[in-house]
Amino acid sequence: MTDMVVRTGLSRKDIYECYQCARCTGSCPALEVRPDAYGPRETILRWLDQGRDKLTRDKHIWLCCTCNVCEERCPQMLPISDLLTDLRNLAARRGNIPDRLAAAIRLLAVTGRTMIVHQLDEMRAHHGLEPLPPAAAEEVRAILKETGLDEVIEF
Amino acid sequence: MNSSPGRFSRRGAPKKVIMKYALYLGCSIPIKYPGFEAATRLVCEKLEIELVDLSFSCCPPSTSMKQVHYGSWLALAARNLCVAEEAGLDLLTLCSGCVNTLKEANHILKENDSKRRRVNRVLKSVNHRFEGTIEVTHILDVLCQDSVQDKIKALKARDIPLRMGAHYGCHYFRPSAVMKPQVLDEDEYPLPMHMDELLSFIGAEPIQFGRKYLCCGMPLGANMDQDAGYALTREKLFHIRASNVQALSVVCPSCFEQFDMGQIILGRKYKEKDHIPTFYLTQLLGLYMGMSPTEVGMDVHRIKTRKLLKTIGIE
Amino acid sequence: MKENLEERERDFESNDLRIGVYVCHCGKNIGGTVRCEEVAEFAKDLPGVALAADSLYMCSEPGQEQIKSDIKEHQLNRVVVASCTPRLHEPTFRAACESAGLNQYLMEMANIREHCSWVHLHDKDSATEKAKDLVAMSVSRVSRLVPQHELTVPVARKALVIGGGVAGIQSALDMADAGYKVYLVEKSGSIGGRMAQIDKTFPTMDCSICILAPKMSEVGRHPNIELLTLADVQDVSGHVGNFRVKVLKKARYVSDECTSCGDCVDPCPQLVPDEFEAGLSFRKAIHIPFPQAVPSKFRIDMENCLNKEGIVACDKCYRACEHKCIHFGDRDETIDLEVGTIVVATGVDVFDPRGLTEFGYARFPNVITTLEFERLINAGGPTSGELIRPSNRLRPKKIAFIQCIGSRSKRSNPYCSNVCCMNTIKDSLLIKEHWPDTEITVFYIDIRAFGKGFEDLFNRSRREGVSYIRGIPGEIVEDLETKDLTLIGENTLLGRRYRHHADMVILSVGIKPSTNTGGVQRLLNLSTDIDGFYMEAHPKLRPVDTTTGGVFLAGTAEGPKDIKDSVTQASAAASRANILMSKGEVQIPAITAKIDADKCNACGLCARVCPYHAIVGSKEQGYYRVIEAMCQGCGACVPECKFGALDQTHFTNDQIVSQLDQALAHDPNNKILAFACNWCSYAGADFAGVSRMQYPHNVRIIRTMCSGRVSPKWIERAFLKGVGAVLVSGCHLADCHYNHANQQTVKRLERFWKRMERNGINKDRLRLAWISAAEGAQFAQVIHDMAAGLTKITPAEISQTIERLEKIAKKKGSLT
Repeated sequence: MTDMVVRTGLSRKDIYECYQCARCTGSCPALEVRPDAYGPRETILRWLDQGRDKLTRDKHIWLCCTCNVCEERCPQMLPISDLLTDLRNLAARRGNIPDRLAAAIRLLAVTGRTMIVHQLDEMRAHHGLEPLPPAAAEEVRAILKETGLDEVIEF
Repeated sequence: MNSSPGRFSRRGAPKKVIMKYALYLGCSIPIKYPGFEAATRLVCEKLEIELVDLSFSCCPPSTSMKQVHYGSWLALAARNLCVAEEAGLDLLTLCSGCVNTLKEANHILKENDSKRRRVNRVLKSVNHRFEGTIEVTHILDVLCQDSVQDKIKALKARDIPLRMGAHYGCHYFRPSAVMKPQVLDEDEYPLPMHMDELLSFIGAEPIQFGRKYLCCGMPLGANMDQDAGYALTREKLFHIRASNVQALSVVCPSCFEQFDMGQIILGRKYKEKDHIPTFYLTQLLGLYMGMSPTEVGMDVHRIKTRKLLKTIGIE
Repeated sequence: MKENLEERERDFESNDLRIGVYVCHCGKNIGGTVRCEEVAEFAKDLPGVALAADSLYMCSEPGQEQIKSDIKEHQLNRVVVASCTPRLHEPTFRAACESAGLNQYLMEMANIREHCSWVHLHDKDSATEKAKDLVAMSVSRVSRLVPQHELTVPVARKALVIGGGVAGIQSALDMADAGYKVYLVEKSGSIGGRMAQIDKTFPTMDCSICILAPKMSEVGRHPNIELLTLADVQDVSGHVGNFRVKVLKKARYVSDECTSCGDCVDPCPQLVPDEFEAGLSFRKAIHIPFPQAVPSKFRIDMENCLNKEGIVACDKCYRACEHKCIHFGDRDETIDLEVGTIVVATGVDVFDPRGLTEFGYARFPNVITTLEFERLINAGGPTSGELIRPSNRLRPKKIAFIQCIGSRSKRSNPYCSNVCCMNTIKDSLLIKEHWPDTEITVFYIDIRAFGKGFEDLFNRSRREGVSYIRGIPGEIVEDLETKDLTLIGENTLLGRRYRHHADMVILSVGIKPSTNTGGVQRLLNLSTDIDGFYMEAHPKLRPVDTTTGGVFLAGTAEGPKDIKDSVTQASAAASRANILMSKGEVQIPAITAKIDADKCNACGLCARVCPYHAIVGSKEQGYYRVIEAMCQGCGACVPECKFGALDQTHFTNDQIVSQLDQALAHDPNNKILAFACNWCSYAGADFAGVSRMQYPHNVRIIRTMCSGRVSPKWIERAFLKGVGAVLVSGCHLADCHYNHANQQTVKRLERFWKRMERNGINKDRLRLAWISAAEGAQFAQVIHDMAAGLTKITPAEISQTIERLEKIAKKKGSLT
């Protein structure tokens, strides 16, 4: 399912209505702390002017909190979150993915969780809790093999 | 949207009263913050909310898996939904990130026939099938239900008279069209206020501070740049401090980490010492019901809560 | 006059049809898609056609001359013009025929532009075939048309203006000055509207009330204008030339002796937020709307007065009044008016930005709207013209304007409100004029300075040092102590984020149509567009007419515009009304219903469905008849008659059935036969054409005045002819141009569907769609859906339907 997109047919016809008002970028937390981030407005402009492919090779598109404020405030009701998610999916397919993120996903694929377990049962017992049941790692692996995650990230 | 504090308004028509849920712990809470889990279990026990543990896996997060491989995100989320469906129980999550993934995935799979078919084809290999029979909810929503309200009041042991700042966490309530809980009115969204109301219900004073709905910074920090993530937390803290908030209330372990661990790291960097303690919501409810700070797992907070709690008579 | 007409007219009753067919290229508009020469060639062979020609621009002078000379030279007795929509040029070609001596009702148009070339741009073959079909349909119809003479009705030389803003005022003055009696109805206590609230106008920087007040006075003392304030239109009946209007005049509780001395104000104990001051200060329950009010009388706002239901609990104002002009016993009164024309000038309200929570309006005291700003800076306003920050009443030093609040947004109003850019530029200059040291920044997306003198004003503003930053803030953050504001956003031209500090933020709010107009839209059968502004009859050629005869539009009610354009349009509306009133008479289109007394069985069913009660009669009398002057020509009565006694002039069963037969003569299985009502659906289809929305070519549209005219017998006939699917389309249920005639449509179709079901005929093959004049996209979508559905209907199914219907016809007579 590497080809599965958030919204089918998301293309120019969905984003041409952007009139670059910058309300989205004005609300973007990522851009606030990383001025080199593009923010939604610039990402859309680059998409329209330079084409999607160039963007997928750009590392800046990962500077995003996925907080969804941009989509909430967009006056043209553009599907910005879906757009950026699809863009990043495509980028990942082409090898553009932050190392830390890739590592986290590899961990998930192998263990079924995103966190490593150290002396967990003792800590849990201290709080009066039962040991943590296993995370169905086998099923997770099987699913991820079926969905084709390994086409994007080796595990 | 602006309800008067101290009044826990009843909204909308009464929905089906559910008191038994499949507890979805996620990854962070059971591993990093088991205290929250303990507090939640204790509180739910007292409220006669039955929690069932099933064989769940990572949700997976919309901040990571969804951005990299949407199909896998949907399939793994579907698996967790199926596990709950097979037990015939609604899902109760404890984390903003988990509720975002599971609720949105539930919504997508219910509405979109072709996506559902594809996911079910994948799930066949692990003997699951998504039917779309359950709902996903968050502990905050459950605690705001009318029937639960009465029970909370009945269990009161003491008020929590602190100036509290409610932080919902972006993924809890956005995108508003999908995330608004069935139990609450639509007017709340996109800027929910029900945690503020719950806080005033337990005797606290909910403070409206600037940029209250701004992201805590965790996704940026986790994926790309930790400093950038904490810079956002710092921006929030600036406004939180300006309003003389004594403590924060969160419903997500990631937000908790940003405020708890984050203040320590920021404190080292900027030589600041005036830290504001953060509580996970069920911990506060536990205290309200008379539990001790240790019982609700406050010992592992990086920013110590002892001093503050002492000022309101909680040892 | 009539004698001349008959003399000039030739005898066209003969069976010798000589039809002239003209296929227009309309430049490339039709010619670029439809092969016009081919269509003209095809037309030559149609029965009754004497000549067929194609031409570049039929509506032009040479084009019309051609028609006229051909009529005379070739003795044409019918004309078909295949070109644009009849809603555009029917009057043009009718006039051409009439002037050549051919009765105007013997001219028919085939819509091969809006309904053909423009919507099938990329399929030239299908478009050409469709054009041929449409021409054949028109030729068939025109063969059965007979000459008509329009009834003339008198036009009362009195006008009604609804709304007392600057547009209503201007219209009233223009009509009154022309010598006609005008009733000006205004819902508030004084005329003046929005313009009275503004401080200065752009681009001249005139004092607004100073230029408005003289006009208001003129209205107040004009011998021909009767000013009815605190009044609402309750009911309207009748038609152009003869409207009967009921006006509810609410009680003022203060008589005409009031000298506006104001002694009554101080003693009044009731404080109410002052609407005129945009809620920035208080007024009393007894008040004058504003100092320059016309009429210059006080009034009591009974909602907030302590006295209610006639019980006098407080008489402080009464005791203070020397002239004893306060009467608590006043009652509302209903006034009946008879007018010939109506001008609608109901104006706009300002957008409330509370819902845009990111800007903090109503939470942060120093965030205000431009309307509130107008009142603050106005010398007659709540602060006597001192611009102050609401939080500490000190003068702001750094002001930020934010544009496009509540405009250009799918979350509020999608259109541009026209005036906000210039308004802000004007405001910035006003501030600089008084307090040159103020730092002003305007946050914009585009600056629209399109009018005369506008660009100049924009330059002046920048010369005075006002900065313009392109990039609307994402949110505003307030400093808890100082109540200063920080705007967080991106300067798109620099590609850099800003955190702009201001001590006051002014939101440049958009304007939207007045709600609270007392149902004027419904009463007058007016259409509004998606945004709620009244729709003009034609956006380019009839910008102040509405589709309701005798009703005109003026001012912002028709669309956002500034004062100059409002006044211009008001004069235009008055001029249009003056034409009707000066002529003193108006022609009623000859499309009324007629009853054949011989066939009439006096059952009265037709009378029951007539929205205008235009059919009278009784069982005792033995017949019913149509009162022609009252008949509006919807045709909803016709399908009701089971005895074939009723028919509609110029839309007879014969004529329409001939169009139907022709439409389905070739390849009926792949066709969608659509009946579209003239006012909404046909216009909606036109709109789809104008917007170049593409849809499948299978549809053939037959126009009726109202969807209520559509007879189930036609639908049955269409199925018998092997049609793929039938569409019946009309105005939305509450918006029928003929009151509620479309309710008959629903009833008849539901009955028909039931019978289809009972007889195993696929119900999906008959569809009902309510499509308004603004819903071009919906029309296109319906055709898309139906064309897709056609592919699932097999020829076998169609022939099976025919078989079943034929069987029923043999047994019972018909399905209907």
